[in-house]
Amino acid sequence: MKALVFGEKPEQTASLAAYLSKSIQPETTYAAAFTEYSPTELETVGGAGVKKIYVLPDKNWHAGPASTAHALSELAKQNGVDIVVVYASKKGNEIAARTAQRLDASYASEVISVERSGDAFLVKRLVLGGGYVASLLLRHRPSVVSIKPASENIVPGDKPVVERLNIVSDAPEVKFLESIKPEKAHVDLEKAGVVVAVGRGFKKKEDLAMAEELARIIGAEVGCSRPISGDLKWLEEERHIGLSGKRVRPSLYIALGISGQVQHLVGMRDSKTVIAVNTDPNAPMAIESDYFFVADLYKILPITIESLKKKLVS
Amino acid sequence: MPDVVVCVKQTVDVYQLKPHPETLAPQIGQAQWKNSDFDLNALEEALRIREKHGGKVYVVSAGHDVKPLLVRECLAMGADEAFVLSDPSLEKADGSATAKVLSSIIKAKIPRWDLILCGEASLDQNSYQTGPRLAEIFNVPHVSYVTKLEVGGGGIKAWRAVEDGVEVVSCNLPAVVTVGLEINTPRLPSLLMIRAAQRKPLNELKLSDVGLTSNDVMPKAETVEIKALKTERKKQKFEGKPEELAERLAELIISNVGGRR
Ligand SMILES: Cc1cc2nc3c(=O)[nH]c(=O)nc-3n(C[C@H](O)[C@H](O)[C@H](O)COP(=O)(O)OP(=O)(O)OC[C@H]3O[C@@H](n4cnc5c(N)ncnc54)[C@H](O)[C@@H]3O)c2cc1C
Repeated sequence: MKALVFGEKPEQTASLAAYLSKSIQPETTYAAAFTEYSPTELETVGGAGVKKIYVLPDKNWHAGPASTAHALSELAKQNGVDIVVVYASKKGNEIAARTAQRLDASYASEVISVERSGDAFLVKRLVLGGGYVASLLLRHRPSVVSIKPASENIVPGDKPVVERLNIVSDAPEVKFLESIKPEKAHVDLEKAGVVVAVGRGFKKKEDLAMAEELARIIGAEVGCSRPISGDLKWLEEERHIGLSGKRVRPSLYIALGISGQVQHLVGMRDSKTVIAVNTDPNAPMAIESDYFFVADLYKILPITIESLKKKLVS
Repeated sequence: MPDVVVCVKQTVDVYQLKPHPETLAPQIGQAQWKNSDFDLNALEEALRIREKHGGKVYVVSAGHDVKPLLVRECLAMGADEAFVLSDPSLEKADGSATAKVLSSIIKAKIPRWDLILCGEASLDQNSYQTGPRLAEIFNVPHVSYVTKLEVGGGGIKAWRAVEDGVEVVSCNLPAVVTVGLEINTPRLPSLLMIRAAQRKPLNELKLSDVGLTSNDVMPKAETVEIKALKTERKKQKFEGKPEELAERLAELIISNVGGRR
């Protein structure tokens, strides 16, 4: 079996190859790149299992997803690969969809696992708002999937063979004009040990100071539900947890004024312990937490904070 | 005057969905249906384009059992005409089948269009496929995850949200654009608009009307099982006086953060 992997960044490409080496164990893994890899990056993707990397002209990347998908599908055809695996970044997902359409392939996006199942691939993905896992069979060859494997340590290995290839594409173009970078919030929610998450139970932006103070004294990161960052813009987009945001797995998750809709739950389900504060005893969060406080956060948080300060000093 | 096609999917309302207590399968039969959230953002954006530049707004919907009442909602919001296709074979439709049907409807019934707008993903499947696949079929550019859109001069300028910020891009029309929740707030139709929508054309189609058979819409990715995720939680509930609860909360936080500070 042959696989073709592609991620926007070298470490993403490496994580895909490493994941496949453990799961479906292809005989040959090819990679595609639209920039030159450094020697260290080559050793990393090599160590992850890539045997050969095709370096394509960067205009196939800069001309937009149609052009990138064209290049990937040509590579897939030329090498007769059985599966194309794309890193499920936002750009990765749109490229994978166009690639699948071009190849007339079976395609599943944002899968959480891939296995072999006879002649087909069995993949799992979250559906119905994130509260359910669907199993799908991809029977057509080639198949296409997008996936975001958990990062792991990759032991550098032999550099793969590097082949430079020119694929001329007349695919419809999207012109890049400019990139507006957000002010970096410097949060790494995915790695946080404790997360204090805020929701619409907070009435004003200023009130988030309570949650921030709580986070500060217990060494937690602040996260939020989507309305807080998306609609209200009280916190950076990077802090939003859930289906369309970050997936966190802290040892303690404290949900303050969050109802617990499925789309939020997907992002925090892997937390070890969940504590919630909510005025509504029937909020869905009640059955998704270990300790559920039926209380007004405005009434109890100030007292809790004072109490914690005392306890943590002594 | 750009003519805009909006693809609207009807999905089960996932907010109401409950799993079967034993099999953990979603009890689809008991839940309500609705127009998928992002698709209504797409429709709203199409209506705003029409208000500014003129043109027509068409709604296209396909599924195993498209509910006319929900299509009327789109017409009441302001769409000019709707083409809907129901066929039982679409019950297991994947991205490939969906794109095939939608593109066939558009080819057969809406010969002239400038822009196709879709939600970036659907409420139930969350696949991020339909827009890019349609663009591939029509061999036109697409821009996904759009949070702000400008139309003019035979092209579009779009602001799209990706992981490391916002990218501003442009492309020629015809094109496909997919939008997220942030782009706008869909309007709620007034009673007057709802009444006016009764007279708008809602065309119901069969597969054969758009040159397809059920063989053409076989899924290439076949769903074999759907099961609820289960989390094991202690589910202890605390009620009482704020002072006592606050103290209890502090204790639980301390015992769960351990030595960490
Ligand atoms: C396609 C799609 C994707 C989405 N993706 C995400 C996602 O990634 N992440 C996400 O979070 N959401 C997401 N959502 C939105 C999600 O459906 C919910 O709307 C959202 O999670 C609700 O946020 P919330 O809990 O903060 O607000 P609400 O649902 O309004 O809940 C507020 C809660 O606060 C409680 N409360 C009110 N006052 C107080 C008080 N004084 N003290 C204590 N409690 C109080 C209320 O009882 C209520 O339970 C998505 C939606 C869609 C359609």
